[in-house]
Amino acid sequence: MSERDDKDLRETGNPEEKRGIDRRDILQGMATLPVLGLFGYAVHKQVSYEDAQIAQKLGTAQASNLREVKVALLGAGAQGQVLLDAMLKIPNLRIQAVCDIWTDFNLKRVINTLKKYKFDPHPYEDYQEMLDKEKDIEAVVIATPDFWHAPHTVACLRAGKHVYCEKEMSNTLEGARSMVLAARETGKLLQIGHQRRSNPRYKYCYNRLIKEAKLLGRIVTVNGQWNRAVQPDLGYPKRYQIPADKLKKYGFKSMEQFRNWRWYKGLGGGPIVDLGSHQIDIYNWFLEANPVAVVASGGNDYYSPETREWYDTAMVVYEYETPEGKARAFYQTQTTNSSLGYFERFMGDQGTLVISESDANYANAIYREVTAPAWDEWVQKGYVTAPKVVEVKEEKSAVLDVRESVSPDEHKIPVEFADLYHRPHLMNFVNSVRGLEKLNCPAEIGYESAVTVLKVNEAIQAGRRLEFRPEEFEVS
Amino acid sequence: MLEQRYTHLQMIALVVMRVLIGWHFLYEGVAKLLKPNWSAAGYLKAAKGPMAGTFKWMADSPELLDWVNLLNMWGLFLIGLFLILGLLTRYAAIGGALMVLLYYAANPPFIGYFSSVATEGSYLLVNKNLVEIGALFVIAVTYSGRYVGLDRIFYRLFHRRKRTVSEQELTGATV
Repeated sequence: MSERDDKDLRETGNPEEKRGIDRRDILQGMATLPVLGLFGYAVHKQVSYEDAQIAQKLGTAQASNLREVKVALLGAGAQGQVLLDAMLKIPNLRIQAVCDIWTDFNLKRVINTLKKYKFDPHPYEDYQEMLDKEKDIEAVVIATPDFWHAPHTVACLRAGKHVYCEKEMSNTLEGARSMVLAARETGKLLQIGHQRRSNPRYKYCYNRLIKEAKLLGRIVTVNGQWNRAVQPDLGYPKRYQIPADKLKKYGFKSMEQFRNWRWYKGLGGGPIVDLGSHQIDIYNWFLEANPVAVVASGGNDYYSPETREWYDTAMVVYEYETPEGKARAFYQTQTTNSSLGYFERFMGDQGTLVISESDANYANAIYREVTAPAWDEWVQKGYVTAPKVVEVKEEKSAVLDVRESVSPDEHKIPVEFADLYHRPHLMNFVNSVRGLEKLNCPAEIGYESAVTVLKVNEAIQAGRRLEFRPEEFEVS
Repeated sequence: MLEQRYTHLQMIALVVMRVLIGWHFLYEGVAKLLKPNWSAAGYLKAAKGPMAGTFKWMADSPELLDWVNLLNMWGLFLIGLFLILGLLTRYAAIGGALMVLLYYAANPPFIGYFSSVATEGSYLLVNKNLVEIGALFVIAVTYSGRYVGLDRIFYRLFHRRKRTVSEQELTGATV
């Protein structure tokens, strides 16, 4: 100690001569620098681990020799960002161009995100210019407002690109039809973004539990819902306002309308189309039929019709003639209360399947009716887990009314899906472009779904039961 | 100064605590920066307690939210970095404490409130956020950066006149 103090005291004699710091100050001053090295190493390890996890899910190891596919993103809003996040780590997918009319905000943000991931995409405002210039792009992913889907998709297909287009396929049936025809004429692929069609859990439930094991027996009734909490209109940073003439050029009356297009007639289809189409598409899929009729009640019960032209609440009953017999399916969507979120429930005479895209909120379980044959075989084969034992309390069972059914056993579905919801569907599209897979939701299926869903708005307006003719679902 | 004497071990303990908190901040920042489009919106909207309205208001204004996101990501990153390096230690500690105070306010473990984020323990008024604020307060009022940290070099460089100060006067440590 004295040595140091002596030194300090010695230095005080002529501080101008000596440098202010000595070796010890430097060493002690930078003693924590190695911590940053360790930190960097740990972060690197963590990121590699996360990448490896994703790569394992995507099968990148086997996919590394797949040929590169160059794509463009058309529409860089909220949904475009969701699709982009899902595309970032798809192996050998090159995002080469991005197009959005909100150049100062959406476009800039997405380009910045892509640069972080070592892409160098070309930004465009005008999709025609993009199609003219980007000759080596093979496919376009479209996430523009619904009323642009048809013109964008048709233009891209005619320019020789394969297309992944978000649902709803179009806000009009004429639009949707033109897309199916353009896909047929050009021979290019058109995948519609009903991403549950590629979700491993949904595929498992349909292929294994419903088709193969027939655990539900005959499905007679279905219900499902998407309940969403009250949300204010979407805003925008004032300094990034799009000039009025540009908005007009692209079909919007105002910035408010541009942000909230989903609620406007002629631009979108309202909640029944935005939310319902995902789930009603599953009804058609699992019931293996298109509906024969629909009754619906709905209206703008809560929000101002000034900013929300479409119905904030819709309750729908479809009638089906399935290969097994008649079935009825209820669906509700409302935007004023979020209770129980979103799910689909298929009720057969032998079991009930409750399924949701959301792993967090739903257990994804299947219930055996007590009157149904035992599922032991399927439990042993691992198709479903062993049932959860529900203890029946003595005093309760003593007073159990004979008219009351005993509650069914709960089995879990042993398929975990912890990936981004849209990734498998996009992977299916990219691998179809490579010629390795078939589309899980080609234009024709998207069209059937659009016919099914768009009829709801018609039925609400008409205030009566509307029938579907079988040929309505076909494009000729 | 006499009452502020610390042993080397006590100074090292302060430095270790500072580096641990710095690491925590730095990784919270890096993890958010690494996500393609991280936003505090969900967290803000789920806020509970007397300040909940203010946080929800932040989440609902896109302009403000942009700033909140940027400040949060880079604030965590820089404060973490500075705490590890012992650079501007006092300001980093105060800044850090203020940030954590906001997180505390967004989900205060007050009587009758339930946390909207998952917690792994049981808290009554005091939670880990408040403990971290307390630890940062200790960092802010001691001179661990002048003991081990870049502050030491800057202090030596820019306080030449006080070159007479000994190690113990510099940091309060007895040598």
